[in-house]
Amino acid sequence: MLGACSSPSSSAKEQGKHISFLYNFSTNSLDPHVDSSYVPIRAGITETLVRLDEDNLTVAPWLAESWEGTDGQNWKIKLRDNVTFQNGKPMTGDAVKASLDRAMTESIAVKNALKIKSIQADGNTLQIVTTQPFPEFISELVNPNTSIIDVTETDVVNKPVGTGPFLLSSFTPGSKLEVKRYDGYWDGASPLDGVTFAFNEDANARSLALRSGQVDIVYRPEIESLDTLNAEPGIKVESTSTFRVHQLTMNMERPALQDVNVRRAMDALIDRQKIVDTILLGHGEAATGPFLPSLPFAPTYEPSPLGADAAVDYLQQAGYSLVNGQMQKDGKPLQLTLLTYPARADLPLIAQVFQSDAKKIGIQVEIRQIDTPEDYMAANRDWDLATYSNLTAPRGDAGYYLNATYHPDGALNFSGAEDPKLTAIIDQLNRTVEPEKRAVLAERAADYVHDNVINSFVLHPSTIVAYNEEKVKNWITTRSEYYMITNKLDVM
Amino acid sequence: MGRILIRKFLETLGFVLFITFISFLFIRMAPGDPVLTILNVDELSVSQEQVEALREEMGFNQPLLVQYGQWLLDFVRLDFGQSYVTGQPVMKMIMGGLPATLELTGGALVIMLLIALPLGSLSALYRNSWIDHMSRLLSIIGAAVPSFWLGLILIDLFGVRLGWLPTMGRDGWISLLLPSLTLGLAISSVYVRLLRSSLLDSLGQEFVRAARARGYSELRIFWVHALRHSLPPVITVFGVSLGSLIGGVVVIEVLFAYPGIGKLVVDSIRQRDYPLIQGYILVMAAIVFVVNTLVDLSYRYLNPEMKLKERKTG
Repeated sequence: MLGACSSPSSSAKEQGKHISFLYNFSTNSLDPHVDSSYVPIRAGITETLVRLDEDNLTVAPWLAESWEGTDGQNWKIKLRDNVTFQNGKPMTGDAVKASLDRAMTESIAVKNALKIKSIQADGNTLQIVTTQPFPEFISELVNPNTSIIDVTETDVVNKPVGTGPFLLSSFTPGSKLEVKRYDGYWDGASPLDGVTFAFNEDANARSLALRSGQVDIVYRPEIESLDTLNAEPGIKVESTSTFRVHQLTMNMERPALQDVNVRRAMDALIDRQKIVDTILLGHGEAATGPFLPSLPFAPTYEPSPLGADAAVDYLQQAGYSLVNGQMQKDGKPLQLTLLTYPARADLPLIAQVFQSDAKKIGIQVEIRQIDTPEDYMAANRDWDLATYSNLTAPRGDAGYYLNATYHPDGALNFSGAEDPKLTAIIDQLNRTVEPEKRAVLAERAADYVHDNVINSFVLHPSTIVAYNEEKVKNWITTRSEYYMITNKLDVM
Repeated sequence: MGRILIRKFLETLGFVLFITFISFLFIRMAPGDPVLTILNVDELSVSQEQVEALREEMGFNQPLLVQYGQWLLDFVRLDFGQSYVTGQPVMKMIMGGLPATLELTGGALVIMLLIALPLGSLSALYRNSWIDHMSRLLSIIGAAVPSFWLGLILIDLFGVRLGWLPTMGRDGWISLLLPSLTLGLAISSVYVRLLRSSLLDSLGQEFVRAARARGYSELRIFWVHALRHSLPPVITVFGVSLGSLIGGVVVIEVLFAYPGIGKLVVDSIRQRDYPLIQGYILVMAAIVFVVNTLVDLSYRYLNPEMKLKERKTG
């Protein structure tokens, strides 16, 4: 504690039990219904009706105590009693309805996602009817943009009032916010007096801020600095797998890739463990399918043959042979265009590893850098493969990813998958309510994608957090990345 | 004076129209539009149809000229639009960040003056001495080192090792020190060399010799005659290099998490937040105009010859 007093943040420590947290994205608005950096929920200001249970990776009660909706369209949600907003007003059914209504007015994304036709509030119970049978409705309420706030407060952008353990005391757009303990928190007030939640987009600067003692917890320090951080006494580095997958998207509209054996060859060529070890320095998990293996609907896969020899075998089955060091079929060499983009720094490196491994078996891969993958891939079809990164179960349900990526209508269906069998499975999933049956269908869809190698999955990157372990107590690095500042967080 | 201002004003109007039109074209022609950000396709299930519908609703399917005309109409009504991302009025957001950026630019200029004035003067006065060699070496290093890297070194030294200064954020003047030092160091190298050569030029001029002949002290010759005479080219370059200074501010703001408009525009470019980018360009054009006018006016004070020329020709 003595040593800490010489650090620049000593003034903050005089306020009592205080933690400084540094996050890697900044925000200019705290409106929980539109802010896509989800700072209000991450900073412990707001809460949603349901949350993700990080241990079981299922949807768990939060502001809602229980829910029913066996037909998938008529939902009854019972709210928790005795919850108050940070201005002391009770959280009633009417207040929750007003908050959900506002979220749908302010954000077209929320409106699209919830598909709500009508909401009726009766005391602490909500009756919600969706526009269509929509079984993943409850899991969509995990979305931080559905946070419950008191809409009678006027300045939502700069001072949202929620139900969380911390209430906002000041906000500097793009720089930081200060929150202090809300004594009336329903789940037990925090032992901390306050938290500083600051932003810095530069990974190097984040690591240095932790080492200088200016902050206590940093999100995603620079991977290259981890050895230095680990060597520093009192700093702990923690990493946990996320719901994100780095994948190799295959453009099924290209003649060569219409052959499943060529796609299998591509899949076999990806040296997943090497990529995890060399590019992510071990901070990731090799992926077989899109979903994190710990999710209830992640299939267990039969190990398929991998490596250069397996790839050559597959290509031979597809009619290719090695002529003059080139993989050829009917006199034409196999040449592929691979898209990648710099916004996620590890993707271009993965592309390079793939390129060099492909070259070893006589395949020419041309790497093309693009800016915004979503736009480019949707508008241009002059490519074969693309590195892409996607959240596959952000709210603990497979519906989002399967619909967006494999349904013919999906906005992220860049592989151009239009497989009636797969579409039928997804359609059936969209009609199924019971979580167990949904899990079976999601698993079947993931199996189908795997068997037909519609896309190939490389790895699940980890979220890395470093913190001062001599000071911070009860920090949990969550997989969902939604819940950061909680009422359990404390100092030693 | 009045005529100059009116002429400047008309010039600016043309300039603003030109710059906003060109930037409008470039921003809209660049790949990507905000629809995907607004719909949050990264995390929410969206169909192609919904994407197309929003594109239509936001007018992105209209011809560029129609879209620009609409923007211009709003501009005349002093309506600069709202950010697609935060829903806040663009001008409110920019004005919120402007003080921080001006603070940082001001701090950098003070550092620059503190470095460039003495170093530039000394190397001109003691030409080819060790101080001249050292200052030239420093300016080469200064010009070669990227400012973000310099910033990281300063953070490491003053924040981590010595623990004297905060490494980020905006909490009073103390947090202004490191970012303005970084930016000031980065830009001062240009001015050290410029001031040196301009001073050498002045010191060789007739009027300096005349002043010497009159027996004025070297100190007075330097401050009153030579330095004043050598400032106009330095200030001209400053007017021109204002753009790169602003560019430098953007990098420094991101590195030090300093909440100015540079950081704001980086975010808005990433998210294709058109109204905010457009508003930023407008405000920057206005600032460049004001600074250039001040630069023009300052010549008349620094170099009385120009006032004479104007009288003769006008």
